[in-house]
Amino acid sequence: MNLRRLFLPLVVLCPWLATVPPAGAHRLDEYLQAARLSIDIEHVDLEIDLTAGAALASNIFAWIDTNRDGEISGAEGEAYARQMLRSVVLKVDGYPVPVTLAGASFPQFRDMSLGVGSIRLRATAKVPSAGAGRHQVSFSNTHRPESSVYLVNALVPENRRIQLGDPRRDRAQHSLTLDYTVIAQAPSLLDRIFALVGLAMIGWLLWRFGYGLTQAVAHRQRSSRLFVN
Amino acid sequence: MRMSRSAWTALSLTFAAAAFLPALLLVFPVAADSQQRVGSPPTAASANGTVTMKVVEAANAFLATLSAAERTKGTFGFNSTQRTGWSNLPTGIFQRNGLRFGDMTPRQRQAALALVAAALSHEGYQKVTDIMNGDEVLKNAGGGQTGGRQGGRGPGGGIRFGLDEYYMALLGTPSTTAPWMIQFGGHHLAINVTVVGPNSVMTPSLPAAQPAKYTLKGQTIRPLGRENDKGFALINALNAGQQKRAILDYQVTDLVLGPGADGKVIQPEGIRASELDAGQQALLLDVVHEWVGILNDEAAAAKMAEIKSNLPKTYFAWSGATKNGGLAYYRIQGPTVIIEYAPQQGDLDHIHTIYRDPTNDYGAKLVTP
Repeated sequence: MNLRRLFLPLVVLCPWLATVPPAGAHRLDEYLQAARLSIDIEHVDLEIDLTAGAALASNIFAWIDTNRDGEISGAEGEAYARQMLRSVVLKVDGYPVPVTLAGASFPQFRDMSLGVGSIRLRATAKVPSAGAGRHQVSFSNTHRPESSVYLVNALVPENRRIQLGDPRRDRAQHSLTLDYTVIAQAPSLLDRIFALVGLAMIGWLLWRFGYGLTQAVAHRQRSSRLFVN
Repeated sequence: MRMSRSAWTALSLTFAAAAFLPALLLVFPVAADSQQRVGSPPTAASANGTVTMKVVEAANAFLATLSAAERTKGTFGFNSTQRTGWSNLPTGIFQRNGLRFGDMTPRQRQAALALVAAALSHEGYQKVTDIMNGDEVLKNAGGGQTGGRQGGRGPGGGIRFGLDEYYMALLGTPSTTAPWMIQFGGHHLAINVTVVGPNSVMTPSLPAAQPAKYTLKGQTIRPLGRENDKGFALINALNAGQQKRAILDYQVTDLVLGPGADGKVIQPEGIRASELDAGQQALLLDVVHEWVGILNDEAAAAKMAEIKSNLPKTYFAWSGATKNGGLAYYRIQGPTVIIEYAPQQGDLDHIHTIYRDPTNDYGAKLVTP
């Protein structure tokens, strides 16, 4: 290995300082709310990751740590998660559907104070009119809009029967509306065998009917000829 | 009019067939076109495994510089959780495992860098070192605008970054046949190279930069400058109609599929590459190559061929200003590639990017479970 190639790029730099400079690279004064929708035939799952900027962490931690003991208890976490989900409106085919909290995890205050620890919420909603055909899902998040930035995306469905249309969002990504189509379920092998047997029987009957009809008409034509003659 | 018996028979058969055909279509429906799904693309392989041999030699040379204790600290099982234990965050917020550059001897550092150089292309290695040097510059300049104080007390007091805070970890045993992995990273850098026989895979990886531009020994360095400039060149090569389809009507303030988003595939958006002319497609591939080409030339060439073969199903999406120098996010997403370029919090001097292959992160396609 050519040592010049290895070390030339790394040569250098000003003397490494002994002082204590501020660190960089972390979210500061924004509350990032990133949501992902996973659409299935009978339910829509939500993943919502909330990352508080370092400058907001104390405030946000205080919203959650209501008894001010410096820790987020299970009950406090759940209460905040439910409060946050009340700011979420999920509609399927134009009708609001209840969003049920499925899980929540909270970072340590230290991580939040650095602008990196994320609150992770998982929720789910049932699709009331599940079935083949066209549907529409819309998601809206208005939680803490005064200090938040938003991301919302639909995941490519695991279920191949679901095809997504073009998404529509508002500029700040508070909301997303998405048309999707559920393709009719393909029949199972057994269904296909039964259908084939049935079709074969129908075909045989039709053939017999056609043959019988042919015979009858031919007979009538013969009779008609006899009568004319 | 008279009809013969055979004509009647033919008519009855036609009648039966006409009844059958729609029913058959119901029973055997035409497979739904799934534009968001992927077939089985070729894998990236070096022509005869010579690159792998060089990388294995470099890995073994690095291991030979380590004491038994250091080996224990710097090596992990290939299937260990360490595989997904990477981040762009600095030490103190995210604790990496492996061997810390600041704790290595000069000989060990040299061997570690030689391993990185063997696995990557010349340009890729340069990019990596530009990012590392940039981090040192950031540290020496007093850090960015956000976060706590390095080494200080209170929030962020334990944050450390700069050249000493890059880590090397090896997963599995370096081999020309069995799978193993090189994990190298620190603040604003995560390089994950999975080696399986003659194949090398560099997804997921996260090259980032802060500052995005700095001066070193009289030279202006922009670690991700080509990613920026080529992105703007591409969006400006599109005509008005194409731009309308490519430009998202909403703002994107961060990576959508950053660290921790393994295995997630979002709905592709923007303009399809099939709607671009040959020149525009070449520009798109040139942008993609800025990430793919970090890996060694042989593996990168194979990966580029794979991406090119999927070009009609590849999307380019843009959000933000179209004049170079403005703030803009872009994403390239195809069946076997996802690339995001995202300035952070409106700061042009602070760029995060991600490079993923939804079908082959960590060499998933190459590794037998």
